[in-house]
Amino acid sequence: MRSYFGLFKMSFKGEIQYRTKALSGIMTQLFWGFMYVYLYTAFMGGKIIDGFSISQMATYIWLGQAFFAMRYISLPQNCGAEISNGNVCYKFVRPVNIYDQWFAEHLGQKLSATILRFAPIILISMLLPNNIGLSLPASFTSFLLFLIALMLGCLMAVTLSMLAIFITFKTLSAKGSITIVNTITMLLGGMCIPLPLMPIGVQNVLSWLPFRYISDLPSRIYIGNIGTTDALIQIGISFAWLVALIILGKILMKKALKNTVIQGG
Amino acid sequence: MLYKKYLKMHIKSSMQYKFNIFLLGISSTLVSASEIISVWLLFQSFSSVGYWGFYEAALMFGIVTTVFSCVECFARGYDEFPTLIKEGSLDRLLVRPVNIYLQIFGSKIEFSRCGKILLGLTVSVIALCNLSISWTIWKAIVLILTFICGILIIFGLMLITAGVSVFTVENLEFLNILTHGSKEICFYPINIYTKWLARFFTFIVPVACFNYLPLNYIMGYGDLPQILCAFAPLIGMLFVIPCFLFFRWCLKKYQGTGT
Repeated sequence: MRSYFGLFKMSFKGEIQYRTKALSGIMTQLFWGFMYVYLYTAFMGGKIIDGFSISQMATYIWLGQAFFAMRYISLPQNCGAEISNGNVCYKFVRPVNIYDQWFAEHLGQKLSATILRFAPIILISMLLPNNIGLSLPASFTSFLLFLIALMLGCLMAVTLSMLAIFITFKTLSAKGSITIVNTITMLLGGMCIPLPLMPIGVQNVLSWLPFRYISDLPSRIYIGNIGTTDALIQIGISFAWLVALIILGKILMKKALKNTVIQGG
Repeated sequence: MLYKKYLKMHIKSSMQYKFNIFLLGISSTLVSASEIISVWLLFQSFSSVGYWGFYEAALMFGIVTTVFSCVECFARGYDEFPTLIKEGSLDRLLVRPVNIYLQIFGSKIEFSRCGKILLGLTVSVIALCNLSISWTIWKAIVLILTFICGILIIFGLMLITAGVSVFTVENLEFLNILTHGSKEICFYPINIYTKWLARFFTFIVPVACFNYLPLNYIMGYGDLPQILCAFAPLIGMLFVIPCFLFFRWCLKKYQGTGT
């Protein structure tokens, strides 16, 4: 456990060095935030859809942008290059589980990237007028539940990234594999269009899939779109999904490693 | 002539990694597909925004996806200009007695974007078939000019980001707002956004010239003077000139990165 914590700390510290990168990311996220808020405002045109008002929509969008860095599906740094150039074998020879190594590293990167970015975005969006900015959480309980769901969402994103590593082992093309997993997650997880704005039939299907637990569930708990008891049940389900996907990831990784041919040397 | 050789070379080299190109093609097409699915889902929920329906938005999506992917495919050298700088390949290109701009064009051609171009064209054609437009010869000309204008404007934006990277070396993520932001803003008519955003994307970065304005003319909508809308693509094309001058100025300032 200590060695995993060490890896976590190392990648956390590494990522936190890139301040210009973070600043640039903040500006990008602010732009997308504005764009989406105005876009969906135009579509909603003052209507309230299933208890989803314009100011709730704006809050949903800004939360999505503020915590974007932990939701984005990506590979741990250098992981793609390591797989295709063969340096991954150094990871194999260490006496620690490879899945857990990557998991710890990736979690560290995601959290430090988020910590560098989220505060300014939250602050700026809080200062905006009510119907285009971030509102306060619905209640104190919903805020606490939001924090739990947020962490579970981050773990879910890391778990899905692990599955993308498995695909990279199969295809050796990091860029292609990650794009495919990321696109599917963004669309089905409500990061392109907020789930409450999708047609009802589509929403029902997507509520059975794990993708919505990354960003949709925390945001909806925050705005009070999901009540306390319902939120607790949903958090339980997302935890179950998380455990299932980690087990699946470990099994797949083991399988991939059995047939791995190290490229080059 | 030389460009033909570049083209042949790139086809040959990418054919060496057929699976990789295929996978990249599939994944980038999937990204665009997810975008048009988002547009479709939104219009399923809301049926229209202002007087614009799904097929109008689909035509806009088709136009911007086609032009953006064309630029990404053939002007990849400008898109990935920081790589040229970091690897020091730009120094090598500069000492050759051949036109530098042509060489940058030839430095990379991204054939994996062909899938996206195809998707963009298909969506445009489907949208055009489903829209009731009373066609005239002028409307057809404006439509063709819209595509050309789009290519020139997006290329202009890539020239700007490439020019800036002469000084910053790294590709700054927020400059993606210019390129990818313009792209995504063009999926919908530009007038539905708030005023300052719409103005920025009309007068400063004139993406409205291949989006909202010409479609207003083609569809016969709107309260803007039709003649202005018809000429918008021609005016928008001029955007590439200052971009090019900026890039040329940046290139003159280039000092090498020491590799």
